[in-house]
Amino acid sequence: MAEPQHTIHEKKDEPRAAAGEFEPKIIGFLCNWCSYAGADLCGVSRYQYPTNVRPVRVMCSTRISPHLVLDIFKAGADGILLGGCHLNDCHYISGNFYTEKRVRLMLKLLEDAGVDPKRLRLEWVSASEGEKFSKVVTEFTETIRNLGPNQVKKDAALRSKIAAADEASDTFRLRALVGKELGLEKTGNVYGNKLEQTELEKLIDIATKEEFERSLILELSKDKARSVKELGKIMEVPTDRVLRHIVVLRQKNMLSMDHPEGFTPTYKTIIIGGEQ
Amino acid sequence: MEKSVMVIGGGIAGIQASLDLADKGIIVHLVEKSPSIGGRMAQLDKTFPTNDCSICILAPKMADCFSHPNTNVITYAEVVGVEGKVGAFKVKVLKKARFVDETMCTGCGECLEKCPVKVPSEFEMGLSNRKAIYTPFMQAVPRVMTIDKENCIMITKGKCGNCKKACKREAIDFEMKDQMLEIEVGSIIVATGFDSWNPTTSTEYGYGRYPNVYTAMEYERMINAAGPTHGHIERRSDKKRPTKLAFIQCVGSRNPQVGHPYCCAVCCMHSTKEAMLAREHHDDMESTIFYKDMRACAKGFWEYIERAKRDYGVRYLNSDATVQENPENHNPIVVYDVGGRQQSEEFDMVVLATALIPRKETLELAKILGLKADEFGFLESSDRILGMGRTNVPGVFLAGYAAGPADIPESVAQGSSAAAKAVEAMALAGGA
Amino acid sequence: MTMAETKKTDPNEKPRIGVYVCHCGSNIGGFVDVPSVAEYAKTLPDVVYATDNLYTCAEDGLTSIREGIRKHNLNRVVVASCTPRTHAPLFQTTCESAGLNKYLFTFVNIREHCSWVHMKEKEKATLKARDLIKMGVARARLLMPQEEEKVDVEPTGLVIGGGVSGMTAALSLADMGFPVHLVEKEGELGGFVRNLNNLYVTEKSATETIKPLIEKVKASKNVKLHLNSQVKSVEGFIGNYDVVMASKGAEDIKTKVGTIVVATGALEFVPEGLYGYNQYPNIVTLTEFEILCKKKSLPSLKNVAFIQCVGSRGQKVSYCSRICCNVAIKNAINIVDNYENMLGLAEKNGTIIDTVPVEKKVPDEILERRRRRRGRERGEEGEAEEVKLGPSEKIEVTVFNRDVMAYGVEHELTYNKAREHRVKFVRYTPENPPKVFMEGNQLMVSYFHETLKLDRSMPVDMVVLSTPMVPQLDTREMSQMLKVPQGQDGWFLEAHVKLRPVDFATDGIYVCGTCKGPADITEAATQAAAAASRAAIPMAKGYVQAEALTSVVDDIKCSGCGTCIQVCPYGAMRKNDKGLAETIVAACKGCGCCGATCPEMAITMTNYTDAQLLAEAKATLEEV
Ligand SMILES: Cc1cc2nc3c(=O)[nH]c(=O)nc-3n(C[C@H](O)[C@H](O)[C@H](O)COP(=O)(O)OP(=O)(O)OC[C@H]3O[C@@H](n4cnc5c(N)ncnc54)[C@H](O)[C@@H]3O)c2cc1C
Ligand SMILES: Cc1cc2nc3c(=O)[nH]c(=O)nc-3n(C[C@H](O)[C@H](O)[C@H](O)COP(=O)(O)OP(=O)(O)OC[C@H]3O[C@@H](n4cnc5c(N)ncnc54)[C@H](O)[C@@H]3O)c2cc1C
Ligand code: SF4
Ligand code: SF4
Ligand code: SF4
Ligand code: SF4
Ligand code: SF4
Repeated sequence: MAEPQHTIHEKKDEPRAAAGEFEPKIIGFLCNWCSYAGADLCGVSRYQYPTNVRPVRVMCSTRISPHLVLDIFKAGADGILLGGCHLNDCHYISGNFYTEKRVRLMLKLLEDAGVDPKRLRLEWVSASEGEKFSKVVTEFTETIRNLGPNQVKKDAALRSKIAAADEASDTFRLRALVGKELGLEKTGNVYGNKLEQTELEKLIDIATKEEFERSLILELSKDKARSVKELGKIMEVPTDRVLRHIVVLRQKNMLSMDHPEGFTPTYKTIIIGGEQ
Repeated sequence: MEKSVMVIGGGIAGIQASLDLADKGIIVHLVEKSPSIGGRMAQLDKTFPTNDCSICILAPKMADCFSHPNTNVITYAEVVGVEGKVGAFKVKVLKKARFVDETMCTGCGECLEKCPVKVPSEFEMGLSNRKAIYTPFMQAVPRVMTIDKENCIMITKGKCGNCKKACKREAIDFEMKDQMLEIEVGSIIVATGFDSWNPTTSTEYGYGRYPNVYTAMEYERMINAAGPTHGHIERRSDKKRPTKLAFIQCVGSRNPQVGHPYCCAVCCMHSTKEAMLAREHHDDMESTIFYKDMRACAKGFWEYIERAKRDYGVRYLNSDATVQENPENHNPIVVYDVGGRQQSEEFDMVVLATALIPRKETLELAKILGLKADEFGFLESSDRILGMGRTNVPGVFLAGYAAGPADIPESVAQGSSAAAKAVEAMALAGGA
Repeated sequence: MTMAETKKTDPNEKPRIGVYVCHCGSNIGGFVDVPSVAEYAKTLPDVVYATDNLYTCAEDGLTSIREGIRKHNLNRVVVASCTPRTHAPLFQTTCESAGLNKYLFTFVNIREHCSWVHMKEKEKATLKARDLIKMGVARARLLMPQEEEKVDVEPTGLVIGGGVSGMTAALSLADMGFPVHLVEKEGELGGFVRNLNNLYVTEKSATETIKPLIEKVKASKNVKLHLNSQVKSVEGFIGNYDVVMASKGAEDIKTKVGTIVVATGALEFVPEGLYGYNQYPNIVTLTEFEILCKKKSLPSLKNVAFIQCVGSRGQKVSYCSRICCNVAIKNAINIVDNYENMLGLAEKNGTIIDTVPVEKKVPDEILERRRRRRGRERGEEGEAEEVKLGPSEKIEVTVFNRDVMAYGVEHELTYNKAREHRVKFVRYTPENPPKVFMEGNQLMVSYFHETLKLDRSMPVDMVVLSTPMVPQLDTREMSQMLKVPQGQDGWFLEAHVKLRPVDFATDGIYVCGTCKGPADITEAATQAAAAASRAAIPMAKGYVQAEALTSVVDDIKCSGCGTCIQVCPYGAMRKNDKGLAETIVAACKGCGCCGATCPEMAITMTNYTDAQLLAEAKATLEEV
């Protein structure tokens, strides 16, 4: 994926670390048949690259659902590299087409969560592209080095947002929509013509935003009951929009309301079972 | 005795035949002449009409074929004699000494650095060198070294032995001797593939004289990321990257004068692929294909040509073409004829789609097995319409390019088809 | 291979992990401090034993694994060495030989992914190797023993379609020793070839050529022939298909088969509205022309024009139909060489073709449409005036083409022969196609001469339109019944265009002949034998065994939405009696797509669970 080259200092929550001190931790999910094999060839050919990527082998890039990626960012990864076969080369026929669609969602959620989307990178590396693998890793490590460490462990606000994005990625609504889109994708064909952008894509974008905001409301109201206004302010979302979300969440029985007389109502997340 | 089949030639056709048989519980002896299985397909960069990476889709098959419990892959070996008949052939296989113990060598390559001898690499079409101890390519199967005795100075002159010192596994054995194996099988499949015709003798293309004229096979290696230039397209004359490429079709094929009046059936497509790949490498690559008929007639092929025109800006000119050179900058000049008018155009590089011809050794093998070949050296099927691959010798079958022009899917289908025919023949013969 | 009895590992038993770190001579050892890494491994949770080997894959290395399992009662093994892509099977077998389930082994790559790519940074490479092993151990702690599921395969085949490919596939399976049902919807075997006059390459009669094949099929004890029959329903999966066949005027037949070969052939495109077809007399398609020749009913001719690519290559369909150029060449040579033999009796046939004596096999709808049209035209215009033609000594044949697809050895030679026999080949471009019209009573063809840059025209007595093959009309229904895909152009779509040309993505179903795209008899028959070979594999084995890398559906979470069924590339998901999703283990390839998609998160991937992947990834993120 070619990334547009724009400034890298734009995220306020992620100050740039002093060069030299910071060794990024990058997880690389590599599909067994192409990118893992490409990494193998890279080794056999002795192309050198920085030591920061930790490969995790999966059978197909399609295995990586958005919540895995968000969960790992939540755990503090500085970057995640997804490696797959080139489109049309997938060992499992169409897996990487699905991956591409899912990555779109992941990037959207990262953006919502305030994580620079450049921290996630999807690359097609074939089994014969050993040198490319080293280049990708070198470049990506450099990108992450410039972005500085993931602040999730230090920054509580960021933590809630990433947690919310993680939750949103797990919601039935988003997964069902993406599933539907993938079902349509499958009817696309193996000769390299991709389906046109669907209406569905727009729907998914809207749903992503909504689900993220709802999850964030739940996240923020977990330990403390909060008012609409308060939520609106933290989330930088207009209050009427917050209220709409609250209505939905109340209908789903996910929020409880406290309304002492004379006070503005506040809402608290209903926690089922031990874990939320 | 268990049922067993010998497959001669470990290209994609032979690999497919072997896997189909082994999966049915039949013991397969796969005899491959070179140090590794894989054949021509291992040399290709991408494959039409989907542009999949060739080695990516082939390597898993090679590995499966090698490690299958029912296969016995004998590389660096040749069939030298055969006796008997369907159900009970006795085949003599000469296993050449590779001077490296296959069971000890891990393919780590420590020896490579120490070997002082450099020879042009056959696999890289001579575009780069290998050592006297070598593995033809990184993904070779089996991944063990081979010492080529013509060039090893220890074997020819008795001094060196560097590799032996470097090898901690003590895999190297200069005393190793050729071995004659005798193998009994019920049936035989021949899948010895093709060679590229050397266009040096046809002076009108300037190959060998003009540095920036390449064969398609050379070009395939050049654009391969693991190839001699790491995937950079560059000119022999000045190592500069070309931007204007010409592809000339039917070089030596459809040409009775040089003895190949037939059509090779794959080169219109592979040149199109190669032109597309140039554009994939660099946006400013401009390719022109000079052709007689654009033979793009299998599934998805014509669409592929349309795509090349539409999305990759490939220009097609329906004309014969010859090559001259601008001596100042070594730019090849293509002379052609459109609408009855002779024209010429300067390019940075020319790629020749040379004729694909049966391998010479295949004719010798045909003699050993008693098979018929046509006037060009392709092995003949006895039942051309309904039983392609069945031969005049019961129990011996053909697959792949050795039996006539075939692309990869056809070679694969023929490999499977030959496997079925071999099983049928053994069932009928009721023996081995 | 005989294997030691695998001891049952209690999934709840506390993990006892053994870690083997390999030097690979100096390949790893030269760039990573292997002994210190092995020491470090001992400090990781649940690791009870760790050691380093010079070559773990050498016999002494393997022995140390076996001994470790016995001595230290290891129930998980981690090897840190080269790549699982080449060496995993070796270590898995070693574990099994010491009684450890092979799914309790995990691989860490510290050579290709570490020592070889960080050759100048020994310290950092060592740190990375430690981390990678930490990750491997985290994964190992969550590994579970797995059984590989075996599914029996019914050793009987089903072939749908009784043309050349169907017959060849059926006979091949039969000759390999498997009983096979051959289902043909017509009353006769032979398929499209029954329409053809003679065949190219051999120039022999088409029907005579396939007669021996038909006889062998009929005589084969293993082939159960179902004529006038169709497959009504197919349920099940590889090895176990329940099939219902419906025959005209008979009871439905229910049977069980293990594999299915689809060989339903193709139709010819009807060039309605193109080049004066059905508008002017003496304009026929290639098939109609073949039938006329075969019936010896050609009218007397002097000038014949073939027009190639009628409707193909970007016109009505996008593809090239592969065979029509060579079929046209064959017929052109026939006319020149053998015209007298195909000439009909003048009094019987006259000189105008208005009804082609077609065998039933030419699609009925074509004939019907033609008949209606003719009737209408006659009614409106009265008797068409006869075109007067004298018997001719010399016949001119012109083939208007775009590219002549005379691929391979024989076709190119035949193409040359045609030119030697005075057949003219005139190239046209799709922008400037030839035109067919009437000038008075004379049928004319005009075309653009590319060299002269001029429009030319010539009188002709007959125009033969080379139209492409098109998919059968019921391809969609078939594809739904069998749950196999069609490509964009409507043909059945094989699993992989290059390496699996006769497999469907769904295991157990195979495809051959013209139902997957244009092909000639030789190619169709080759594909058919190939499909038979593929179908024979599971039947010869008698079972299919899936690696335990498959998806598993949680009944409680699944809502039956069917999304997984839609996205699975292998048709390996189905609904069970309860309407919930269920993995067809024998067909699942373990890609994980369904798992990553299921909206209810009801699907787990065996041996690659979310928990395992997360543990592996997060291990490196823990603060030290
Ligand atoms: C430049 C170029 C590009 C191409 N691109 C494509 C493409 O994109 N897509 C596509 O479908 N096709 C392509 N092809 C065609 C493709 O290469 C062939 O279809 C395919 O390789 C044929 O496989 P095979 O197994 O028959 O023969 P080969 O690949 O030639 O294999 C034959 C094997 O037999 C061995 N052998 C030979 N003689 C003996 C002997 N006497 N004893 C033992 N072993 C022996 C050889 O060493 C070799 O390993 C291309 C061809 C060329 C030249
Ligand atoms: C004009 C013309 C000329 C040709 N000339 C030559 C030539 O000279 N040489 C050559 O090699 N090839 C020639 N061919 C090609 C040749 O006809 C085909 O390659 C061949 O017919 C393919 O055989 P098949 O079995 O795949 O399909 P078909 O012959 O179409 O057979 C398919 C069979 O399946 C049956 N069927 C379809 N659907 C069902 C169903 N749902 N259930 C049960 N049965 C079903 C059909 O009734 C039919 O019997 C020519 C083709 C055309 C159109
Ligand atoms: S002994 Fe031969 S192969 Fe070995 S290093 Fe010397 S020249 Fe090379
Ligand atoms: S495939 Fe094309 S380039 Fe090759 S011989 Fe045939 S017509 Fe010429
Ligand atoms: S007429 Fe020739 S070029 Fe046209 S579709 Fe048929 S085979 Fe292809
Ligand atoms: S996608 Fe999930 S919920 Fe839907 S049917 Fe499949 S397993 Fe059940
Ligand atoms: S893992 Fe892949 S093959 Fe298996 S059922 Fe799921 S989607 Fe299908």
